[in-house]
Amino acid sequence: MLVSLNEISKYVDLNGLSKEEIASRLTFSGIEVEEIKTLSSATNLVVGKVISCVNHPNSDHLHVCKVDVKDEILDIVCGAPNCKEGIKVIVAKVGAKLPNGEIKAGEIRGCKSNGMLCALNELGVDPKYLKEEQIKGIEILSDEFEVGDTDILHKLGLDDAILDLSLLANRSDCYSLFNVSRELGALFNRNVNILEAKDDSTYVDNDFKVGSLTPNCKEFSVKIVKGIEVKDSPSWLKNCLRSEGIRSINNIVDLGNYIMLLTGQPIHMYDYDKLTKKELIVRDDIKEKFVALDEKEYQINELDLCVTSSSKTMCLGGIMGGLDSEVTSSTKNIVIEVANFNHASIRKTSSRLGLISDSSQRFVKGINKDQVDYVLNLTTNLLKTLSNVDSISNIIKYDELNHDIKVISCSVDYINNRLGTNFEFSKVKEVLELLYFKFIESDGNNFKVEVPNFRIDVEGKADLSEEIFRYIGLDTIQPTLPFMETTVGGKSKDEQKQDVICSFLSNNGLYRVLTYTLVNQKMSESFKILNKSEGYVIKNPLTEDHKYVRTNLLPSLINCAIYNLNHQNNNFGIYEISNMDSINKNEIHLGIVLVGKKYKQDKIVGESYSYFDVKGIVDTILDMFNISSTRVKYTRFETDEFHPNRSALVLLDNKPLCVMGDIYPTKKETKEAMILLEMNLSLLFATKSKNIKFEPISNYPQSSRDYAFLIDDTVNYIDIKNEVKKCSSLIKEVGVFDIYKGKNIPSNQKSIALTVVFESNDHTLKEKEIEEAHNKIVETLNKKFNVSLRS
Amino acid sequence: MEEYLVEFKQIEEEALKDIENVKTLEDVDQNFIKYLSKKGKVSLLMNKIREVQDKKKFGEAYNELRKTVENKLNELKAKLEKEKLDEELKKEIIDITLPGNHLVSTNVNPFYKIIEEIENIFVNMGYTVESGPEVVKDKYNFELVNIPFDHPARDMQDSLFIDETTLLRTHTSAIQAMVMEKSNGKPIKIICPGKVYRRDDDDMTHSHQFGQIEGLVIDKNIKLSDLKGTLELFAKSMFSKDSKVRFRSSFFPFTEPSVEVDISCFKCKGKGCPTCKGTGWIEILGAGMVHPNVLKLNGYDPEVYSGFAFGVGIERVAMLRYGIDDIRRFYSNDIKVIDEFNKKVED
Repeated sequence: MLVSLNEISKYVDLNGLSKEEIASRLTFSGIEVEEIKTLSSATNLVVGKVISCVNHPNSDHLHVCKVDVKDEILDIVCGAPNCKEGIKVIVAKVGAKLPNGEIKAGEIRGCKSNGMLCALNELGVDPKYLKEEQIKGIEILSDEFEVGDTDILHKLGLDDAILDLSLLANRSDCYSLFNVSRELGALFNRNVNILEAKDDSTYVDNDFKVGSLTPNCKEFSVKIVKGIEVKDSPSWLKNCLRSEGIRSINNIVDLGNYIMLLTGQPIHMYDYDKLTKKELIVRDDIKEKFVALDEKEYQINELDLCVTSSSKTMCLGGIMGGLDSEVTSSTKNIVIEVANFNHASIRKTSSRLGLISDSSQRFVKGINKDQVDYVLNLTTNLLKTLSNVDSISNIIKYDELNHDIKVISCSVDYINNRLGTNFEFSKVKEVLELLYFKFIESDGNNFKVEVPNFRIDVEGKADLSEEIFRYIGLDTIQPTLPFMETTVGGKSKDEQKQDVICSFLSNNGLYRVLTYTLVNQKMSESFKILNKSEGYVIKNPLTEDHKYVRTNLLPSLINCAIYNLNHQNNNFGIYEISNMDSINKNEIHLGIVLVGKKYKQDKIVGESYSYFDVKGIVDTILDMFNISSTRVKYTRFETDEFHPNRSALVLLDNKPLCVMGDIYPTKKETKEAMILLEMNLSLLFATKSKNIKFEPISNYPQSSRDYAFLIDDTVNYIDIKNEVKKCSSLIKEVGVFDIYKGKNIPSNQKSIALTVVFESNDHTLKEKEIEEAHNKIVETLNKKFNVSLRS
Repeated sequence: MEEYLVEFKQIEEEALKDIENVKTLEDVDQNFIKYLSKKGKVSLLMNKIREVQDKKKFGEAYNELRKTVENKLNELKAKLEKEKLDEELKKEIIDITLPGNHLVSTNVNPFYKIIEEIENIFVNMGYTVESGPEVVKDKYNFELVNIPFDHPARDMQDSLFIDETTLLRTHTSAIQAMVMEKSNGKPIKIICPGKVYRRDDDDMTHSHQFGQIEGLVIDKNIKLSDLKGTLELFAKSMFSKDSKVRFRSSFFPFTEPSVEVDISCFKCKGKGCPTCKGTGWIEILGAGMVHPNVLKLNGYDPEVYSGFAFGVGIERVAMLRYGIDDIRRFYSNDIKVIDEFNKKVED
């Protein structure tokens, strides 16, 4: 909302207050002034008269002028097509500061030029408020201007300061200059003088009918004015509208906008003679095509509020009028409509049709419902100053709206308790009365007030505490701390577990990244391995790139890895932990991508990341959660996303915990290794783990034997280990200490070397015991896996 | 006896002379053999003990001789061995200025650093951390926080909807409603960090996804001044120990009164600088007293209970703290950029 200080000075005494003071007071009271604008800050201007204007000898469009500025005659070269002898113009003299720079004395194509003849946009006026000829040519001043006058900006209304208010949803009352004036009057305790409106009817109209057939419009009134003259607005109105950011059209349209600016009440005007019948009825049961004032066609559906005449839509109520009943330059008689349309209906229609107007915005935000008659009278009162008028009707009324005044019961104690303050009753009363609340009952603590009708946001006593607070509060509130029962704060178990995993991964050099939850279709469909459930789709996405709620993390992380590869980062590991909300299922996932090689020293790299790096992470996490390896199964699976023979689906208690392995070679866009992991942390966190319990370490010496053998590639180490472990109760530990493939080994086989550690808790092992266990191991390896030991 | 002593003396002199000429460890070994091995010149002297009467004296003299030679040789051996080792160590020289072996330190997106810092501050004040789903019913996102169905804030323009009644949460207040629902009217003291989503085009200052931390305290006798005190503690701990807090009246549907909270600029200490756009103050968060309707809707009697709530934008805090110019940087995750935020230990 733009507020012209020149305009509101007519309604509230702002004498002696600087615009900065006004802006700051408003801002701290909940009406933020985003910016203080000035229309023009041009300097060194003077009214001049062109006393001669001849074509420039060296140009086909420039003129060489002599301009009388009272004290001297200036030579000025001007390019404007409308420059001619005899006109009064705005002269920027040498040294003048304009938005595009300072005017300097000089020569233009060989002719002296000591100044510039200006168009309004050259003084800083936004071209959107100007007519085309005003932008193409220089501004031609009316004869009232005197040559030599330097007070041009003031006379043109360009010296105005404009407050740009950024209004929050509760203060929609300030979409009215009158209400801003009232607010300033209260805040600075200054006199307020809002225009009064008189009944100016010259006849009683008994023919015209108004009404409403829908509960979404309970008040609808009109006045009929005959014999008007549509013409240009006077300059005071034009200037005012320009300050408020509205372009002048003609006196009637401008009046409608001006009334809305002053009162916050949207009004609409119809050409009386173009209405099909002498009636305006609001209904919401119309289905038809409608051409609005913007000359576009809209489909009206049921529940759209329509102002109709003989069942034909004349106006999309509260949003935009129809082209058929538009007020044009030939209009003689008009119907002025002021109504209360339901904000939710307007909002629905307006957003469905994508049709938003100043009027619809005001209705949607909420308007004062108790000023219909006042606004109608004010409109015709002002109309008389803008046009000839033959006759003005009485107010033709339909009003089923409840106009009861809101009353709030409150107490000073309540306010002080809520704010943590010690205000006296008298102070509370003083403030509320300044803010137009009317005390109807009070006992020095409890009180009842009537809410002024324009404050539609004030509903209960909490709102009154806010009124007090925003008026005096702010620094008067001394900080305290809540007085509560002391509790142990902290994170939930799951969050603590997440933290453990994060610090493990971070401390191992993986970068913790943050990616978008919303992804494109391709990403939403790839790597659908761990979480196969259907994902949510955004109904109203802004872009296809952010349309799907991801169900798996890896596609985002792979994108992130590729982004880094494209930015010359070649060796790194990244991870993210994030919610995966999908239909009927909310999980927390961990995703990891390892790229390239491990750093050894500075830029010196060592071996490439491999499957075993992510496997190591899984091993450690399972260890940290004290989950026995017997509950975990590593299985192979088929996808086109992972390397078929270097990837695993890990099951915990037979439920999918994690997928991991090398990315399928054609998917990675890099020659370097790219290793992936995604884990369902929700499953891990929900899994019961063994409690930590101390077990004494054996005091007797250990003994170990090594076993090396060749075995098929497809045989899993874990199966061998488990079988070996079963061979004897004396086996403390089975481990692998060498794996070899390649030279001297058949291509589908690997060489494995195991070490088996024997130990007893109660005696030193005898050679014979070890020998027995050893024989059993050899036999098992032979029987179960058909291998013989290498010597 | 005397003649033996003379012989001892002769052998000692001979040995010492030999030892004087020793140059290498091999020479040492040879002299060991020559004098001290079983057939060595010194050792052989022992055979003669049978021939003397004063065996004690002979023995003492013998031992002395043996010890002298042995010590000398051992001394020399040690010296030569050290020289030899030193020679070898010379070859093992390294460049002591080369970069150390690659060990790693924590490298996290600053988004998480800020969350952790804020969490720590409030957890230390006894707050519980709560979380919740990101796809929520409009009941939690809107209705229960006093944004009724026809409220403009519910416009399709602003939220990302899955269907008529389901959407991506637009603020972490959605978690509050869930916590209040399960708290059964008991006092609450929580913070809720999380990602939230708006129907915004991504640019330097807007992001369709961003992080928030919401705080909520509900009990009997909670006052607006308690909010001020709490946020002042937060600001002192998060930004600067002399931080001050300033309230500006504002509006949110779920609080009444509502305030915008500014903190005194921690860069210029309120003198005015680019970070605070010359004003000395930085807008940091929105807050207020929980709206009586919100209490009522969630099972708290507003005549008995009151509360305050606040919401901080995580990226906003990070951008202020680190001078980050573009919110999209948080989501591009260039690891070189992430490195920058993890290099220094901050005060």
